[in-house]
Amino acid sequence: MPKHYRPAGKKKEGNAAKYITRSQAVKHLQVNLPVFRKLSILKGIFPREPKKKVKGNHHTYYHVKDIAFLQHEPLLEIFRDIRAYEKKIKKAESKKNPDLANRLRTRAPSYKLDRIIRERYPKFVDALRDLDDCLTMVHLFAALPALEREKIAVKRIHNCRRLSHEWQAYISRTHKLRKVFISVKGIYYQAEVEGQKITWLTPHALQQVFPGDDVDFNVMLTFVEVYETLLAFINYHLYHSIDVKYPPILDPRLEALASDLYALSRYFDANAKHSVVNPEASSVSGSEQVETQQKGIPPDESELRLAQLQHQLPSNEPGALMRLVEDVADEDEEDEDTRECKKLFKNMKFFLSREAPRESLLFIIPAFGGIVSWEGEGAPYKEADQSVTHQIVDRPTQGHIFLSREYVQPQWVYDCVNARIILPTEDYMVGRVPPPHLSPFVDNEAEGYIPEYAETIKRLKALARNEVLPLPGEGTEDLEDPHKLLVEGIIDRAEANEAAERKRKMLIEQNQYLNELKLEVDGVQYSSIASENKQSSSKETEARESEPDLQQIVQDHANRSTVVMSRRKRGLYEAAQISKKRRQDKVDVLVERNRKNKEAQKSGKN
Amino acid sequence: MSNEVLGKDSIEVEFNDNVGVVNSDDGSESDHAQECQSDSSELHQGVEESDSSEDEVTPRNTIGDVPLKWYQDEAHIGYDLAGKKIKKKERQDKLDSFLATADDSKNWLKVYDDYNDEEVEVTRQELKLVCRLLKGKAPHADFDPYAPYVDWFKWDDAKHPLSNAPEPKRRFIPSKWESKKVVKLVRAIRMGLIKFDKPKEEQRFYPLWRDDSSSTEKANHLAYIPAPKAKLPGHEESYNPSLEYIPTQEEINSYQLMYEEDRPKFIPKRYTSLKSIPAYDNVVKDIFERCLDLYLCPRVRKKRINVDPESLKPKLPCRRDLKPYPATCYLEYKGHKGAVMSISIEASGQWIASGSLDGTVCIWEVETGRCLRVWVVGEAVQCVAWNPLCELPILAVSAGQDVLLLDTGLGDGEEQKMIKDFLHVGTAKAPDDSGNKVSTVSWLQDDKHEGIRLRHFKTVSLVEWHRKGDYLSTVMPAGESRAVLIHQLSKKHTQRIPFKLHGLPVSAVFHPTRSIFFISTKKTVRVYDLREQKLIKKLETGLREVSSIAVHPGGDNVIVGSREGKLCWFDMDLSSQPYRILKCHPKDITNVAFHRTYPLFASCSDDCTAYVFHGTVYSDLNQNPLVVPLDILRGHASSNGRGVMDCKFHPKQPWLFTAGADSVIKLYCH
Repeated sequence: MPKHYRPAGKKKEGNAAKYITRSQAVKHLQVNLPVFRKLSILKGIFPREPKKKVKGNHHTYYHVKDIAFLQHEPLLEIFRDIRAYEKKIKKAESKKNPDLANRLRTRAPSYKLDRIIRERYPKFVDALRDLDDCLTMVHLFAALPALEREKIAVKRIHNCRRLSHEWQAYISRTHKLRKVFISVKGIYYQAEVEGQKITWLTPHALQQVFPGDDVDFNVMLTFVEVYETLLAFINYHLYHSIDVKYPPILDPRLEALASDLYALSRYFDANAKHSVVNPEASSVSGSEQVETQQKGIPPDESELRLAQLQHQLPSNEPGALMRLVEDVADEDEEDEDTRECKKLFKNMKFFLSREAPRESLLFIIPAFGGIVSWEGEGAPYKEADQSVTHQIVDRPTQGHIFLSREYVQPQWVYDCVNARIILPTEDYMVGRVPPPHLSPFVDNEAEGYIPEYAETIKRLKALARNEVLPLPGEGTEDLEDPHKLLVEGIIDRAEANEAAERKRKMLIEQNQYLNELKLEVDGVQYSSIASENKQSSSKETEARESEPDLQQIVQDHANRSTVVMSRRKRGLYEAAQISKKRRQDKVDVLVERNRKNKEAQKSGKN
Repeated sequence: MSNEVLGKDSIEVEFNDNVGVVNSDDGSESDHAQECQSDSSELHQGVEESDSSEDEVTPRNTIGDVPLKWYQDEAHIGYDLAGKKIKKKERQDKLDSFLATADDSKNWLKVYDDYNDEEVEVTRQELKLVCRLLKGKAPHADFDPYAPYVDWFKWDDAKHPLSNAPEPKRRFIPSKWESKKVVKLVRAIRMGLIKFDKPKEEQRFYPLWRDDSSSTEKANHLAYIPAPKAKLPGHEESYNPSLEYIPTQEEINSYQLMYEEDRPKFIPKRYTSLKSIPAYDNVVKDIFERCLDLYLCPRVRKKRINVDPESLKPKLPCRRDLKPYPATCYLEYKGHKGAVMSISIEASGQWIASGSLDGTVCIWEVETGRCLRVWVVGEAVQCVAWNPLCELPILAVSAGQDVLLLDTGLGDGEEQKMIKDFLHVGTAKAPDDSGNKVSTVSWLQDDKHEGIRLRHFKTVSLVEWHRKGDYLSTVMPAGESRAVLIHQLSKKHTQRIPFKLHGLPVSAVFHPTRSIFFISTKKTVRVYDLREQKLIKKLETGLREVSSIAVHPGGDNVIVGSREGKLCWFDMDLSSQPYRILKCHPKDITNVAFHRTYPLFASCSDDCTAYVFHGTVYSDLNQNPLVVPLDILRGHASSNGRGVMDCKFHPKQPWLFTAGADSVIKLYCH
């Protein structure tokens, strides 16, 4: 009798009934594989892992309920219609009837995904929780060139660009950005919206490299389709939560200059001001005076730019537009973190040089309460503006220097943001190699290794908070020593017990030995140097002999309790030990490299 | 004709063409005239009509646009218009040409035309043209490339129309056919036959999550498992990481030797400024792979156990509280030349006997390490065992197929006499076939050693005394159904155990207080009641191969050592499964032992160590025995892959004797 014998008339049970393989599912749904793939991406259906794989190990299994869920999806019917319709177009084309083909094309059935979004994310928080991949993808497509070959349409890219800017504008506006990190792969941002940490990656603003054949753009485009809709609805929700209209109407001139973000921030201001015109009037006029004094943008230009927003704003308010309006009402709702972030670059005015990464900095600096301008058309103020406090420069030398401002490399901004304090600018001056840029996503303590610069930042933070330093009144060079001690302390934490025990045992032995020596010396009544030497040497040898023994004893002691463990627990314990060792090995490599580097530096100096 | 003219003419003609007025030089005109006269007028016609300047003046050579190397080896360079060969001219030799350049300052203006095989001198005018061309300007200085366009056609105020035909009537009256068509369309629209295209609907946005409170509506599908978030970047992915994160060149090279899976996928690199970061090649690929993971990877909810490994360790009582136990080597008994296979301690604890592979049996004084007596048995000694009675210091020794019962010569005169009596076998008894007596063992008097020799039919591996000192059991692993025998010393007879053996017997022990007998085979331990002659219990060890067994002096607990280094503690009241399995040795366990009075037990193994445990058995049946590992005793050296062969506790003191394959016996004291 075969193992899985099922009498006739008896239903399937268990995993055999609950799970079907992909090919079974495709057959069941009566679609082809690409449609199935698209449907499962749109609906967010994924394979599941049955406890028992009835059909074998090399299949992917879908839950029957998931497949039933797909089967009742109206999109399935629409996809079939689309397929039939495509055949019509093809037929018209092959009959050399382009009129009909074109007319058919204009009437092709289409579908919307809002219902699916609602279905997949019944709550807003659910949608935010899954936003990481969405944002990364949309930001990637915003940076990609349109490509006919891969069916990447211009419209799609523009839409992605718009959505990503809208998202950034919201984050920047509400000061929800928390961490930034420049990696080789791109720039990581982490924001906190409604308690959800959302991390996304934007590629560097460069020509993107298209990979070869191993990327199937159909899959990616399907994902982008969902993500676009999702992000649009999320943006809508977020914009409405701060009483701003969505979709935003942008100044086409600024849009053309590719400074969408700035345009969006102006839109925000306009909207916000519209709602709270009266209480803000006095403060606005004050700042207005200040800013009109400075040589801002010529009035005719500003008028042009304001043409779109005229129904909301008086036209002769050039500088005040850029100013972020402080919403007093919001203050209570904001949490501690947001307030801290908002104040970071307060009263600082930045100017970006041509080569600095404009998009990223235009996003970050306002998010932390700073005011920023750039070199180029449509900028709110020029380089010559006297009130600029920091100019961000990414070139080896700076020609003309205004004494009133500090010239820093862009990394300074990122490091300040991560440290949440204004770092001293000396290390980031033009022409210097900046200090290492550290990832804010790493828990140094858990990792077991704290880079030197992280320690420095920690101390600076403590200083900023006016906390008592471990070593007050010492120079910066002495700063390193306690760090090192601390680092070593952490590294050695595991070995601490062993070392202590070893030390104690050694001490006991030494004492014993010394006593014996004393007795011997007293008894023999002579103490020549030679004999002492001999004794000491013998002592050394003994110490050396006893050392492995002691290690053995320590190890035995450690293993003592593992002997009594149950097999399961022992396995768990051993796995933990292995992973611990692996981590320790990594740390050891880093420590070793650090030591070598330092030695090399020292020898280089000498 | 001169080539000077040709070049000039060609350029001029081109220029003139541009302007649109033909205004040729008189020199060229004359040339043309000559050609026309000599050749057909048709050719001339063609020349005049052509746009190309090259066709304008026919070259002397007529070979056309063919590679000149075809004529390289010929005496002629081609053919003239009449079809006659044009002879090659004598070339100046190099020296002459060099001299010519040296002499004539204008020689650099001469260009050799190898098509026509002649030297052409560039005129001043032509030189200017060339200079202008090199600068990218129009060749003639007076040519204005941005001249206003002159429209030669007069568009308005013409006296006469272009066409003389009268305006047709259809220009003045509405079209009948058109109106008919319109009516038709209108009718069709009214009837709904023609539908208009609705304007493409843009995606409308609306508050999708306005009623967040209605989340109570249950999703009618399976629980959604959110995909795990992508890994966040560490310090090493920074564009400007700390120096220690950057591997050296040697390390990078060593990555090549690794397996592809182990190789780090990302090698940190340092860029000194933000703008020097190059485009990352795998941006799209990374995100595509993430997409694949999102829709192709099976998702499972997994419980990740996040416990401190230290908390997994059971709380053990402090070792100090469990003292005394053997911990340090106190004495060594040296004298054997081969591996010491077995040791045994006399009941009073004053003497220790040892048997070695070199065929000797020694008796040592425990406290001094003095060797009292040596028997040379001749064969490798497998096992030695003292009689457990103090007044009968008899030593049982298994050597090869024999078991020797030796008089150790200890004890006072009376005892000696008793022993002598005991160890006297009268005339070799004729094997009695009645009962369980086995003919395969013969009791012989051994005169050499003054004892009894029990000759077995197979090699005896183990000898074990009954607590009363009258019976002893021997195990012959190869003995099949007669593998385990019980000998009675007082009656000098041998009997087979009345039970069927399941598998190869490894060891057999008597119960310390009751008439129960333990036989361990390779997988199981069977417990028999000797009086009622039946099986009481079968202990499933679950081990691969049992090597030794020891019974707790209380009699309810058994420890079993195995060849895979595991020690099982059986609580026979609890179950037939091991109460606890201790993986205490990396190699075979050779022997296990219980202390008779202290709550101690020990195992010794081929890894040259002995492990001492604390094992309290409580009289309260509800309380499980307490097993605590105490110490690892080292000191023996390995020889031939064997380590410690035997371990025994002192009967009264918490001391442990170990016999090593390195022919040393060690005493460990507390």
